[in-house]
Amino acid sequence: MRTRILIAACGAFAIVVALSACSQNTGTQDTGSSSADAANPTQTGVIATDPLDSMGPAPEVPGGAKGGTFTIIRELKIPHLDPQRVYSFAGLMNAALYARTLTTWEQIDDQLTLVGDLAQTPGTNVNGDCTVWEFTIKDGLKFEDGSQITSKEIAYGIARSFNPDLTGGPTYLQEWLSGTPQYDTAWDFKANKSSLPPGLTTPDAKTVQFEFDRPRCDLPFAVSLPASAPVPPDKDTGVDYDNLPFSSGPYRITENTPGVQLVLERNSHWDPATDPVRHQYPDKFVWTFGTDDEASANRVIADNGADQTALDWNSVPSSLVSKTTTDPALKERSLLSPTTSANRLTINNQRVTDLSIRQAINYAIDREGLIKMLGGPTVGAPMTTLMPPGTLGYQAYDAYPAGPNGDIGKAKELLAGRTPELVLGTADDSSGQEMATQLKGNLEKAGFVITVKNIPADDKLDETKKKDNPWDLYLDSWAADWPSGAAILPVLFDGRSIKAEGNSNSAYMNSDAINAEFDRIQALDPDKQAAEWGALDERIMTEVAPVVPLYVDVAYFLHGSKVGGLFVSGVFPYPSFVNAYIEQ
Amino acid sequence: MTRFLLRRSLLAILTLFAVSVLTFLMFFVLPRDPVSGMCPKNCNPERLERVRRELGLSDPKIDQYLAYMKGIFVGRDLGSAQGGHCDAPCLGYSYVNNEPVSETIARVLPVTLSIVIPAAILWLGLGIGLGMVSALRQGTWVDRVAIGFSLTGASLQLYFVGGVLLLVFTYQLGIAPVPHYTPLLENPADWAGGLVLAWLALAFLFSAIYARLSRAQMVETLSEDFVRTARAKGLPNSQVYGRHALRAAITPLVTIAGIDIGAALGGTVITEITFGLQGLGRTAVGAVHAGDLPMIMATVLVAAFFIVVANIAVDLLYAAIDPRVRL
Amino acid sequence: MKTRAKAIPDVGPITAAQEFVGRSPGRFAWERLRRDRTAIVTGSMLAAFLVIALAAPLIELLYGIGPHEQFQHELDSFGMPLGVAGGISGEHWFGLEPGLGRDIFIRMVYGLRTSLVIAISAATITTTLGVVAGVVAGYLGRWSDTVIGWLIDFALAMPFLIVALAVAPTVALRFYDERDEVPAEFQAIVLVTIFAVFGWAGTARLVRGQVISLREREFVDAARASGAGVGHILFRELLPNLWAPILVSYSLAVPAYITAEAALSFLGIGMLEPTPDFGRMIDRSLGYLQTDPAYVFFPGITIFAVVFAFNLFGDALRDALDPRSSRSPLP
Repeated sequence: MRTRILIAACGAFAIVVALSACSQNTGTQDTGSSSADAANPTQTGVIATDPLDSMGPAPEVPGGAKGGTFTIIRELKIPHLDPQRVYSFAGLMNAALYARTLTTWEQIDDQLTLVGDLAQTPGTNVNGDCTVWEFTIKDGLKFEDGSQITSKEIAYGIARSFNPDLTGGPTYLQEWLSGTPQYDTAWDFKANKSSLPPGLTTPDAKTVQFEFDRPRCDLPFAVSLPASAPVPPDKDTGVDYDNLPFSSGPYRITENTPGVQLVLERNSHWDPATDPVRHQYPDKFVWTFGTDDEASANRVIADNGADQTALDWNSVPSSLVSKTTTDPALKERSLLSPTTSANRLTINNQRVTDLSIRQAINYAIDREGLIKMLGGPTVGAPMTTLMPPGTLGYQAYDAYPAGPNGDIGKAKELLAGRTPELVLGTADDSSGQEMATQLKGNLEKAGFVITVKNIPADDKLDETKKKDNPWDLYLDSWAADWPSGAAILPVLFDGRSIKAEGNSNSAYMNSDAINAEFDRIQALDPDKQAAEWGALDERIMTEVAPVVPLYVDVAYFLHGSKVGGLFVSGVFPYPSFVNAYIEQ
Repeated sequence: MTRFLLRRSLLAILTLFAVSVLTFLMFFVLPRDPVSGMCPKNCNPERLERVRRELGLSDPKIDQYLAYMKGIFVGRDLGSAQGGHCDAPCLGYSYVNNEPVSETIARVLPVTLSIVIPAAILWLGLGIGLGMVSALRQGTWVDRVAIGFSLTGASLQLYFVGGVLLLVFTYQLGIAPVPHYTPLLENPADWAGGLVLAWLALAFLFSAIYARLSRAQMVETLSEDFVRTARAKGLPNSQVYGRHALRAAITPLVTIAGIDIGAALGGTVITEITFGLQGLGRTAVGAVHAGDLPMIMATVLVAAFFIVVANIAVDLLYAAIDPRVRL
Repeated sequence: MKTRAKAIPDVGPITAAQEFVGRSPGRFAWERLRRDRTAIVTGSMLAAFLVIALAAPLIELLYGIGPHEQFQHELDSFGMPLGVAGGISGEHWFGLEPGLGRDIFIRMVYGLRTSLVIAISAATITTTLGVVAGVVAGYLGRWSDTVIGWLIDFALAMPFLIVALAVAPTVALRFYDERDEVPAEFQAIVLVTIFAVFGWAGTARLVRGQVISLREREFVDAARASGAGVGHILFRELLPNLWAPILVSYSLAVPAYITAEAALSFLGIGMLEPTPDFGRMIDRSLGYLQTDPAYVFFPGITIFAVVFAFNLFGDALRDALDPRSSRSPLP
């Protein structure tokens, strides 16, 4: 009797599964690849110097309508709301709603332009040598309570980023103004609350001036980060500001239940005439947290009720991709775009000192198989350069043309009979594990002997950033804070910045010739730098081959049927809310 | 009785202390440094060290432990980076969540309670009821169906059952609302609707286990002499089975129920993850990943508290049910 | 009932004594088990699983494909297997894994091995520890009961998941050099140890409860009255009455640990790549429920069958060991 139950159960299960498994997969439903290649944001006229370009109102979005509640579904809560502490992608895209900055990015038809947001233009290079920058503030800027935004509040916002209690945000402005990475001891914020950090001055209510000890040509880019958002001194609640910041943008935060929900509603004092980029279509933005990527994908696919006005912030999991990309109804509800978030296999140049071995590793990698393992063209696109497509001055090249599946023959030739034993350190989470298995398979075909060493996932980043880490190979990713070569190449490959821990140059490459190039290019006019970075990119790979570029993340998001106006940011690999609206 | 309670309570407090010490020690065995998570791209070791000192993480471990314990009983000062003074019972400040730990616990504990308590009522009622009926009707089709049900349930996994329930009822059919938590007092109907799938999944799996156990126990008890005697005395069935047989059969069930419910109150991690509910278990797991020591300590202590209380309750119930047991 | 009736033949006293072969309870149990159809079927299933698990390398030799070989050229551009039902073919009996493109059948064979080894070791250790602790605590009472009882409470109160999450990933680092490979056996030992440290308490509590009930029974009083020592009472009076629930609890513990190990994989601890593992396979396959159901089906049905068989066998075992649980309705 009991065995009959057992058999029946198995049988039922089998039938159900078999019915759904019966279709033949012929592999001809490739839909993703071409659309992923198409939309690469290019930069022309990157910095808009004409004040007219920085004036509002932003052009109307076709179909844009006022009203509705825009819901965003995300698994983890946004780590910080405090604009001086925001650094995660979700935080950055969310900050655009309530924290205006000195400069911001305007994205029209895949063209990125830097325009003035609080400032009338993206900064004046006073002496022509990038050491003194001046910003003139617009008129008519108001906080959520109607009070004026002047240079005083903007300067205070930057000053409070020196507060050692407020951790987490970018440190460009602090380090550049104080001239040292130990900025919190160079200028004590708590002791000097009524004054400003060295180099930062406000000659009048409409002017903010930065003075640096060295040329900082990327300042206009750096102040596009929320770190330059204004904060009235009497509204600064220290660490509590992170739960309820004071808004300078089209929306203000009205309700914040950590880990559950974040609600933003219209800021009636925001004046569209002063804003070149943002709109105020939806009545409310609501972030809901706690739903994992499969649940959120299923919800948005089902498109029931409130989910029709929702955006799934968790990317579509690769296990569902073959279903979502082949459903024509979902095409209109998906955002697909390559991003500037680049992934590489870093080689520890201090340990793997032989150039031919590093080159052999480059030849051995099967990028097509890697993309398959990740889940296909909607997850990643192969990359052979150090700077991702979409960066200023990007040039496509392949220093070690290995074809789509790697060139084992060429790799073996370079190794000339040697079988180097290398240790690949990987995070012990599922994606780290699978990557390591995939790469190990590739390399062992060429004769390498690879030991995979598991590192607890939460520690992996810190451990590989230590100079004396014990591994030869590890995976890294990098998304520059602004799409310029200066935010990628010197940061990742200048050997003079190597310290005991916290290294971004995790390849530990130190080449005098290349270092000199970094200095030379960074002293050039910003417009001339672009092409130079592209050339240097190729030179580094050809002469040094410090890493193996693998793939760029492809942004693939689903949203409900009533959502409009979304696009993937050309700066950060996530959707931007500035044009979002709900169909009425 | 009072001596028993006194003795057990003292032991319970001792247990909680031991748990707190062990958790603290274990945490420092981990290489996970909570402070480095505050430092994304351009990190500077000296600055990190200053943050660490400010948070008290560079103090000797014993000092940190004592400071934490002191905080629980009388409150303590935490410094400006952690919200100033923290009143007793101070469970610390979560640098990851940016709020006092007690606030987080106050928010996530009701979620876990709302998941576990109704589910427990369901699974105990269903499980024991099914087991009893099945024992009374051994060999009939009722028995077979019940056995089949309980075997299947006992052999399945929660994340599988949960996943299938969600797929069918929420996404495909749209009958059940997306799982979420609304406080009971705010909107009872929404509270139930948001949790019903979680209850069903838990109830299905656990009742299966309890049905098997209670059936086995009942079958054994029903063949005892005293049952035959009770019958022979002419007592109605409800008394024979309900008062006499059930009472004898129930002791091991009480043990297991105590362990299960006590443990579940500490956080049903897989249920919470599968259904996207922010309860105690999920918070604890997140805290471990982030290296958030105050949060880890608090969630562990709360969970341990429930287990310890459940154990005492089980022993009391033992004594109440089985007169042969002397406390 | 019928058995006993048959055993007494209708002959004279001497011949009756010669022909009446006394059977120990164990013998009775074995015969009842042998006669139970369910027990035979599930017992054979379990034996088959064990054999498959032990003979994994031999199977690999015969099958021709290893658990680490990749066949990515048989996947489409999304990493999904080409062909029908997740890539089932004469070469790949259960199809291919999406993504890495490894053969599912041979990975399941090895995965079965991993899961069974861990579950059986864990069940053996925890049952042994739990029984010893439970018997000592339950019978000796007072001091030892307080101490052991407190240890049980403590073990139950310590958060299993938190400790597992915190400790499992980092233990290996303490034993192995930073550049050395951590063998799968070590990972398995860590898991079994974690299970053992926490698992003994539940069994101990249960056994303690049973012993407390049993020690008040007449036969124990009788033994004590006739001057039996503690050792004799523990091992000759109590334990024989306990071995039935112990055996049953053991047969239920094994599937419980299979499930627990799968749950740990769900949370990201457990056996790591590239060791084939059931839990990890099931966890990963769930995401593909809608897009490659065959990938869910094979490991899912196998683990269901294993656990189900263990449960059924445990039931049959209990029925065989306990003559009072009859299947016939009450008079």
